[in-house]
Amino acid sequence: MQFSLDFIKELVDINISPKKLSSLLTMAGMEVERLESKGKDWILEIEVTANRYDWLSIIGIAREISVCLNKKLKLNYPKIKTKPTLKKRKIIIESPQDCLFYIGRLIRGVNITNSPQWLQERVLNCGINSVNNIVDITNYCMLKWGTPLHAFDDDKIEGNVYIRRAKEGEKLITIDGKERELFRDNLVIADDKKVIALAGVMGGKDTEVDENTKNVFLEAAVFSPLTIRRSRQKAGLVTESSYRFERAVFSDYLECASQEANLLIERLADGKLIGYGKAGRKPLTKKKVISLSINDLNSYLGSNIPKDSIKKILSHLDFQVKDRGSNGLQIISPAFRFDIKEKVDIYEEIVRIYGYDKIEPCLPFLPFQLNQDELFEFKRKLRSFLPILGLKEIITYSIVSEKNLKNLGKIESINITNPLREQENTLRPTLLTGMLDTIMYNLNRNQRNLRFFEIANVYIKDRDNFKEIPKLSLGVSGIREEFFFLKGIVEELLNFLNIAQYEFREDSLPNFIQALMVVIEEEPVGFFGKLDEKVRKELDLKENIFYGEFNLELLKSFKKENKYKPFSQYPIVYRDISLGLRKDINFKKIGDTIREVGKEFLYNYRVIDVYRGKDLPQDSNFFTLRIFYQSKERTLTSEEVDTIHQNIRDELSKKEGIIVR
Amino acid sequence: MEKEISKLEEEFQKDLSLVKGGEDLEKLRIKYLGRKSPINKLFTQISHLENREEKALLGKNINSLKEKISSIIEEKLKSVEIKEDRLDLTFPSSQAYLGSLHILSIVNNIICSIFERMGFVVIEGGEIEDEKHNFSSLNIPLQHPSRDVFDTFYLDIPESNDGRLLLRSHTSPSQIRVMEKNKPPLAVISPGRVYRPDKVDASHSFMFHQIEGFAVDKGINFSHLKGVLTYFAKSFFSSDVELRFRPHFFPFTEPSVEVDVSCIICKSKHLEKGSEYKCSVCRGKGWLEILGAGMIHPQVLENCGIDYKKYSGFAFGMGVDRIAMLKYGIEDIRLFYQNDIRFLEQFYI
Repeated sequence: MQFSLDFIKELVDINISPKKLSSLLTMAGMEVERLESKGKDWILEIEVTANRYDWLSIIGIAREISVCLNKKLKLNYPKIKTKPTLKKRKIIIESPQDCLFYIGRLIRGVNITNSPQWLQERVLNCGINSVNNIVDITNYCMLKWGTPLHAFDDDKIEGNVYIRRAKEGEKLITIDGKERELFRDNLVIADDKKVIALAGVMGGKDTEVDENTKNVFLEAAVFSPLTIRRSRQKAGLVTESSYRFERAVFSDYLECASQEANLLIERLADGKLIGYGKAGRKPLTKKKVISLSINDLNSYLGSNIPKDSIKKILSHLDFQVKDRGSNGLQIISPAFRFDIKEKVDIYEEIVRIYGYDKIEPCLPFLPFQLNQDELFEFKRKLRSFLPILGLKEIITYSIVSEKNLKNLGKIESINITNPLREQENTLRPTLLTGMLDTIMYNLNRNQRNLRFFEIANVYIKDRDNFKEIPKLSLGVSGIREEFFFLKGIVEELLNFLNIAQYEFREDSLPNFIQALMVVIEEEPVGFFGKLDEKVRKELDLKENIFYGEFNLELLKSFKKENKYKPFSQYPIVYRDISLGLRKDINFKKIGDTIREVGKEFLYNYRVIDVYRGKDLPQDSNFFTLRIFYQSKERTLTSEEVDTIHQNIRDELSKKEGIIVR
Repeated sequence: MEKEISKLEEEFQKDLSLVKGGEDLEKLRIKYLGRKSPINKLFTQISHLENREEKALLGKNINSLKEKISSIIEEKLKSVEIKEDRLDLTFPSSQAYLGSLHILSIVNNIICSIFERMGFVVIEGGEIEDEKHNFSSLNIPLQHPSRDVFDTFYLDIPESNDGRLLLRSHTSPSQIRVMEKNKPPLAVISPGRVYRPDKVDASHSFMFHQIEGFAVDKGINFSHLKGVLTYFAKSFFSSDVELRFRPHFFPFTEPSVEVDVSCIICKSKHLEKGSEYKCSVCRGKGWLEILGAGMIHPQVLENCGIDYKKYSGFAFGMGVDRIAMLKYGIEDIRLFYQNDIRFLEQFYI
């Protein structure tokens, strides 16, 4: 909200620089976001918090300054003239919940001109365009008192004035020239024939004050904040007027604003009050009575503010303060402070003026707490482990486009009912979307060697309910032996979690080929595999992508504690064996045989060489295995190892499809 | 025989003088000390001799020649420059492939661990929330201007008893969830993703990260809030950073605070007299807003079944993205979610 310093100075003497003033106000909770000189005047852009409707006025700002600078507020209340009574028309409130009080002043014989220089500056420097003397006067009074006013061209109003809800389909062209269709949610001002204003939001074009206007009908009102909020939301606009009505107006100032506008119109536009009319009842403003203990206050703040200071601060802020014993105060809030409801509100008033900076910081002794978020700890461990494997963490959007999901053939997802754009209109049921986006983004920038992981939730529709499931995704692309790299990552992960009993089951999964399901105690916990050619082509991806996704709650449930496992100190010896394996047979057959025969002397085996050559039979793969032997109890003799190794050779050569060379 | 030995020695000296590098030396070693060397041949000839004394003398002489040759070669080896094996040290290194944490995780970890040092525990909340926990319990009326800053994504899940379902627009619902389930004393921080329908630009994102923190116990007061946040800011930024606590308004705290730190980029250069310098980060203000906080509103405690006459508490919330941007000089929030490897590889753990 923008305010003119010269305007403020009408109400309070300021003897410090605008810059100092800004920081003073900021430290009192009225943050000055921008300070700018404009001619001789200064513009203050102030962030007015939602609780302080009263700061949406020059009076409110000036009052705050008067407290900070210990100066008097120079506010004169005009004498309210309510005679003669308006006879020409009736004011009829048809919707009393929406409009509590309405004043109309009929002012005759106005002379429409430009405003005098000083008035133009006042409104302009508060961010409002200067229109003519009448409109500028209504805006000047709104800015000063915080209660919006509206001036109609009285000759264009036909008959009585009604405050009512709009009928569906009624139309109004507002001052901004837009034709608006109205709804039940809109509160309007109407005459006998037509709608003349969107109440509290914007006037109608038809009844606008223009250069030919002779007679003015001046409106001031108290509308229900909620009604104005709904009405302007429905109309899709925010105005200086609606912004204030939505937050509240102080009915005591309503008459003042209307009266001052009346006086100014008489002075600057030669008008004359012909009739004062009203409808409804001026709402009673309630003063809150709150009793306060100085000790309680100081222990709540961790401060030591003396009673005298407290009393001084509160009276400055227009609170009435009475002693109640040595430690107590009885406080009556000023009528315009709708935000004061209970003790803590008073605490805040005191401490913000006393100075937040005067409260000494102090560390509390926080109690021991044993309840830990185990899932969070689990995720934290994974986050420290996965980078060790050379994976980079990514963070991708949880909100994706339904269309993209359909490309993946995904079934149901939770939709957003008020999406910003079509690209982000549903919650992802898989982390695959983010991984694909990331890999594609980087491939398109000629980056290879991509190894990523993400830890995040997926969101699943569960009949009429929902589930949020924490997941881990793994993705690699543009490296050698991707599948076996990924398989190795998964094995290391399971190893890290000390899960020894697991199974990789070949499975057919949508969008994937060469996929393995990871099964622990008959429970599938995740999968990994190669992205299907079809999906790749659809996404116009040139590289292969290998992807895995795991349910973290399940992985966590199978996680075992890491205990030291003793290992044998006796020497490890090895023997090599060259094998051919027919392509229709799995390596598993070899592995099983080696384990079966090697028994307790088998330490490990691995592939040390792979042969490719035209002279080799094309129906088989050829490679050399190195088998390591070790005993837990003694040093194995060369002959013993030869015997076991020979047994393995013999056993393997009996198997169909395996060639021992 | 003696002659042969001395001839061999002469020959060796001659060969030695021709040696240029390590490779020649190795050839020389094989020639004179290897299995098929003339010295070994001489040794085999000893057995043909009959005189024992002669045998011993010859053996001794051959041995001394062998030792001599081997010590010369060894000595020479030390001084020889191995030019042929020269390694081009300017050759490009082979690439180590490093894993890494996302910078937002790193910042999250740093922030959490600072609070954990003070005795806070981490408890995460869910991202799908309802109106009660995202708004009402936090004293945010469903229709009120104070809600305008909390624009929210709603979800097509049937309404629950606690109102419509939505994506949480801040991490404060975690505070409500924890307080509903647990009795004080409590000191909790809760990090996580939050969502608001904001158009994406350099400083806005429809998804971002927050960390919520709160403590509830007997006797918790405003000066504790200042203490905890001062300790945090000094640990996170640097010990010479200054803090400014400004009054503000949040529906769920009273009194409420916004906390600024002195600009870590320009170090308040503008405050120097006559300085025309205007920092692009703090826009010449000298202060950067980093978080919102306050004493938990008694109504909020009551909404969670905590007796506000017995207990008091403070709460705070901060945007992780914003703080990471400030600390690391990242100028565009979109970088966090693009996951460009050239961005990711600048941060490790």
